Amino acid sequence: MADSTLQPTSAFSHLEPTSLPGIAIEPRENFTMASFAAGKGRLEALAAAIREAYGVELPRRPQRVVGNGIVFVWLGPDQWLAIAERTNNRDLEVELKQRVAGLASVVDQSDGRVIVRVSGPLAREVLAKGVPIDLHADTFGVNAVAITHASHIGVIMWQVDAAPTFELAMFRSYADSFAHWLLEAVASTVPAAA
Amino acid sequence: MARPANSPSRDPLQPQRLSNGGLVDRSRTIEFTFDGRTYKGHPGDTVASALLANGIVLAGRSFKYHRPRGIISAGSEEPNALLELRTGARREPNTKATVAELFDGLEATSQNRWPSLDFDVMSVNSLLSPIFVAGFYYKTFMWPAKFWEKLYEPAIRRAAGLGRAADVADPDLYEKVTAHTDVLVIGGGPAGLMAALAAARSGKRVVIVDEQAALGGRAIDDAATIDGRPARDWVRAAEEELAARPDVTILRRTAVFGTYDGGTYAAIERVADHLPQPKDHHPRQRLWRIVAKRAVLASGATERPIVFGDNDRPGVMLAGAVRSYINRYGVVPGDNVVVFTNNDYGATTVTDLIRSGANVVALVDSRPKPSETVSRIASATGIKLLNGAVVTRAFGKKRVSGVTVRTQTGAEVKLLCDLVAVSGGWNPNIQLTTHLGGKPAWNDRLQCFLPGALPPSMSLGGSVAGDFSLHKALSGGAAAGASAVALEGAKPITIVVPQAADESDAITPLWRVEDHAGKAFVDFQNDVSDKDIELAEREGFRAVEHLKRYTTLGMATDQGRTANVNALAIMAEITSRTIPQTGITIARPPYVPVALGALAGHHRGKSFKPTRLPPSYKWAKEQGGVCVETGLWLRPSYFPRKGEKDWLDTAKREVNTVRSAVGICDVSTLGKVDVQGTDAGIFLDRIYMNNLKSLPIGKARYGGMLREDGVLFDDGTIARFGDHHYFITTTTANAVRALQHMEYCSQWLWPELDVQIISATEQWAQYAVAGPKSRELLQKIVDPAFDISDAGFPYLQVGEITVCGGIKARLFRLSFSGERAYEIGVPARYGDALMRKLWEAGREFGACAYGTEALGVMRIEKGHISGPELNGNTTPHDVGLGGMVSKTKDFIGRVLGARPGMLDPNRPSLVGFRPVDRSARLRSGAHFIAQGVEATAENDDGYMTSVAYSPSNGHWIGLGFLKHGPSRIGEIVRAYDPVRGGDTLVEVVKPVFVDQEGVRVRG
Amino acid sequence: MRIACPYCGERSLDEYLYSGDATVRRPDFASPTAQADFVKYVYERKNSPGQHRELWYHAAGCHAWLVVTRDVSTHIITAVEPAKDVALGTASSMKDTA
Ligand SMILES: [Zn+2]
Repeated sequence: MADSTLQPTSAFSHLEPTSLPGIAIEPRENFTMASFAAGKGRLEALAAAIREAYGVELPRRPQRVVGNGIVFVWLGPDQWLAIAERTNNRDLEVELKQRVAGLASVVDQSDGRVIVRVSGPLAREVLAKGVPIDLHADTFGVNAVAITHASHIGVIMWQVDAAPTFELAMFRSYADSFAHWLLEAVASTVPAAA
Repeated sequence: MARPANSPSRDPLQPQRLSNGGLVDRSRTIEFTFDGRTYKGHPGDTVASALLANGIVLAGRSFKYHRPRGIISAGSEEPNALLELRTGARREPNTKATVAELFDGLEATSQNRWPSLDFDVMSVNSLLSPIFVAGFYYKTFMWPAKFWEKLYEPAIRRAAGLGRAADVADPDLYEKVTAHTDVLVIGGGPAGLMAALAAARSGKRVVIVDEQAALGGRAIDDAATIDGRPARDWVRAAEEELAARPDVTILRRTAVFGTYDGGTYAAIERVADHLPQPKDHHPRQRLWRIVAKRAVLASGATERPIVFGDNDRPGVMLAGAVRSYINRYGVVPGDNVVVFTNNDYGATTVTDLIRSGANVVALVDSRPKPSETVSRIASATGIKLLNGAVVTRAFGKKRVSGVTVRTQTGAEVKLLCDLVAVSGGWNPNIQLTTHLGGKPAWNDRLQCFLPGALPPSMSLGGSVAGDFSLHKALSGGAAAGASAVALEGAKPITIVVPQAADESDAITPLWRVEDHAGKAFVDFQNDVSDKDIELAEREGFRAVEHLKRYTTLGMATDQGRTANVNALAIMAEITSRTIPQTGITIARPPYVPVALGALAGHHRGKSFKPTRLPPSYKWAKEQGGVCVETGLWLRPSYFPRKGEKDWLDTAKREVNTVRSAVGICDVSTLGKVDVQGTDAGIFLDRIYMNNLKSLPIGKARYGGMLREDGVLFDDGTIARFGDHHYFITTTTANAVRALQHMEYCSQWLWPELDVQIISATEQWAQYAVAGPKSRELLQKIVDPAFDISDAGFPYLQVGEITVCGGIKARLFRLSFSGERAYEIGVPARYGDALMRKLWEAGREFGACAYGTEALGVMRIEKGHISGPELNGNTTPHDVGLGGMVSKTKDFIGRVLGARPGMLDPNRPSLVGFRPVDRSARLRSGAHFIAQGVEATAENDDGYMTSVAYSPSNGHWIGLGFLKHGPSRIGEIVRAYDPVRGGDTLVEVVKPVFVDQEGVRVRG
Repeated sequence: MRIACPYCGERSLDEYLYSGDATVRRPDFASPTAQADFVKYVYERKNSPGQHRELWYHAAGCHAWLVVTRDVSTHIITAVEPAKDVALGTASSMKDTA
């Protein structure tokens, strides 16, 4: 799309990558993303097709799995979200439609959601101010996925590493509201100036 | 009265401050004001302990009689010492002086007095007290109602209102946090600390919560000894051990106020109430939702007073509170003290008083014989012991100056004193066990209610379980903590319970002193006396719930924690029943008052709900677009230009531009759902009322969804992109519900169908491009490979195309305005850029941007239904879509929609209206009445749902539901609107005001 | 109240929507008694205490429709099953689909 006269714009009007003692925040939008749902009776064939194409096993419970240049996130019963960097005009909708034709319904979600990365030792404390689920390392952990809400905004979230780093994906239109809440939660968590 | 000769030297500025002891930091002195005068205190004080250190007991006036009232307790049960703290926007009324921590510069003001605490005009109510008895509100103000509204209520509020709320917005932040834990320990006293230690040592996750700034509970209040050391040393060690564990959270200044299903507890943390103002960006209070697999309730117990004459005189204080002030705060609240008790624990107060240098005038013990504990105390201290005696009345006005005691022989003696330490026994703090309906159980030996059936996964430790001695509290807490983690799968570990005294809990009930003179208060905060309970009984309000409502007992901010059991016991006495026969006390959340701001947390003001911004929002704001909330969305409603005097002016111009040239509108907020699968067509046929089987690939069709009861639920378009691929739109308002409905149908009703439903609302930025020049404009955007001529892209055509040099896009030839129109969708990240491109390209065609106002006008001009017509009452027939309803297939709403009542021509159905006097304005909500009949409900023929000024017609137009509407075209009826004084003659017309033949959409 | 979604795990009530009785099934539209059957199906409910089978929707979670067996007097939940499995007759109570 390099030839196009249209340039993408960020969904965030004021959220910049931010790093504070104990916590870092980064909006992420430069990805291609597609959701796909298994056709009736096609679950095993779909899993095999994904295994064949990407060398990973589709998670059957709220987990994510990292393949070669692609991540699959559980999105509900028999549904997944595939995410990849948006390089060389990669378009997962097109790519997956070829690889799982007749096995799953594929829908482009590259623009439907945006992702915010929250990382650092204070991440759990900050997120607890809006996310109602248990993010303790013993119950959530690296590659765990949850569909829930953060400050009344629906999110799909997963843990990337043990820093801990979390990523929260929300519908694009909520980006500013989410950022507003997140920054308030961060400000009330990092030690205040006396 | 003189200070006792043995009193140690004290700070002249804080005459009642002891030279040592307590948790206050004497190395720092801080200043505060009370009713404008400056006093001194120390960090670690509460406002109450600092006032007492300054010799002040009088803290306020009572609610009904405006009697002088003093500090009674040392905790959150305080009924009397309610102050206004701070000034300006942070002014907060009804703050308990016994809980509020002192800080430098604190401004405190007494309440409920006018003009001053010393001299209160309304205390004349005391003289009128015969008319202020229980039920007085009901009896006096029953009639007439308008007097109540105009006269009585404002007068009462002025005279009685406890405190004034700040009159400007709360400047502070609040937040809500969710915590998950294996074990929640409620209470940081000896039992709670032992429970937390036992649980934490097993490696489980523990949250321990305590209301006070310092942990330790009554071990600190009573200056107890644990393992041969002062309890405070043991508490500090326990605290350090807990703090060192990563999976233990200690929440101080935090009160659990509610028990909810599923092991969920609500707690309020006073993060910054002990500071002049919260730290930057930090909250004042934090609401905790704690989800706990197990809970140990170690909430302690609350002492109850004994009801005797004028027992509300300032200086009559709970014995346990006297010990708290001495041992926790280093303050002795009086110099010459009468201790009045019915139990051994109360008697121990003597020891603390003597140690503090106070003179104990007498120990008045209502029990006929001295117990072992009492004998030991009396012989060790040499104080005067009066057994079998009772205090019948306190005297003194703003401060108690003495008491009358009736001795065992019946003789009355007067004792001079400035403090009466009273103990009527202890009520375990069982409230959190009753929030889910658990009924407490009366214990005769301990003379108190203990928790009955506990909420699932809760156990008890310490005095809430009736284990009043320190030894029992420590061992009970340890056992509760250990068994809680064992139930969560922890390996058993050995817990060594520290050594502590096993004090006597002996008690002989005494609720109120017989034949007392003066007023004897049961509920101090609501001014309910024993006479009020007698009156309630005489008038038949014997059940606890009736007693409570009749007298207002227990209904104040202290939840009657010092009053309820006493009242119940007095009612039992009067009616010659036992206490359990008389009733039980069940509490509801919140256990302590909670600021509304804390319940809202982040979600107040503009953050009350999240806001959704459409893709062109930034551009619209740059253009001066005025945005309105539609659901969570913020959508431009109109784009005013210079010289336009109001929204109507602007909307007229926008409509005229669309109808004569071209306009652009962001319609991305419509719900969009991608439906795929080999059975997608069958599925859609079952959820829409109209036939979709015949919809060809590359075409769109209008469709309606019904509820199963036959009422219209939503409408939108269905586009078909492939054999098994559809893309539907829903209204903005129903986007979430429609998806939910579709998932219900696919998962529950017809799980055998192969259909996949995925929301795509936010993937696409979608713009309506409408007007005679819309195609010309789009030709500047759409890549040349795509034919969008009328032949190549006729009305209702849909297609996947590219725009602006290869951006994937979807084009729909749909029209809501009635003009030639398209909807063009691009991936949302290009939404802003596409809008700017359309705007630029539209300049040569005189394009405008239009908002929801113009959109609304144009749909009314075309008679398209929207929210006001899809109002949850209307059927397809009502809105003129009866012809669309399929008769050949099953679909949701088919059977019940075909009931005779749903098809009755008598039902009001959709028609258009125009005023006979073309200059008249129409209003939605007006009811239709035939001419020449009276405007009554029986003659109501329907109502106006939508109105607009139609620029295309030059007058107001309306849509509405009229009985037999379609057969009344041409009739003149009244649009009757008594609420707004409207009564307009309108002509019934077809619900289409522009392009009746519908040719424009086809170009 | 907390409900254990068979897919997502235990979540608080605020993630769910209650949506009525799970013991009634949509009647056949072609039956001669269809209208009476649908009236019963849509409107007629017993408001009884004790155990109910209810439909819930995991609205803020995985969007699964669930059949929840709940005692409406105590709020004690004894089973949560995917509605799809119940409808297809393949449900086994409280089974983790993982
Ligand atoms: Zn779920």
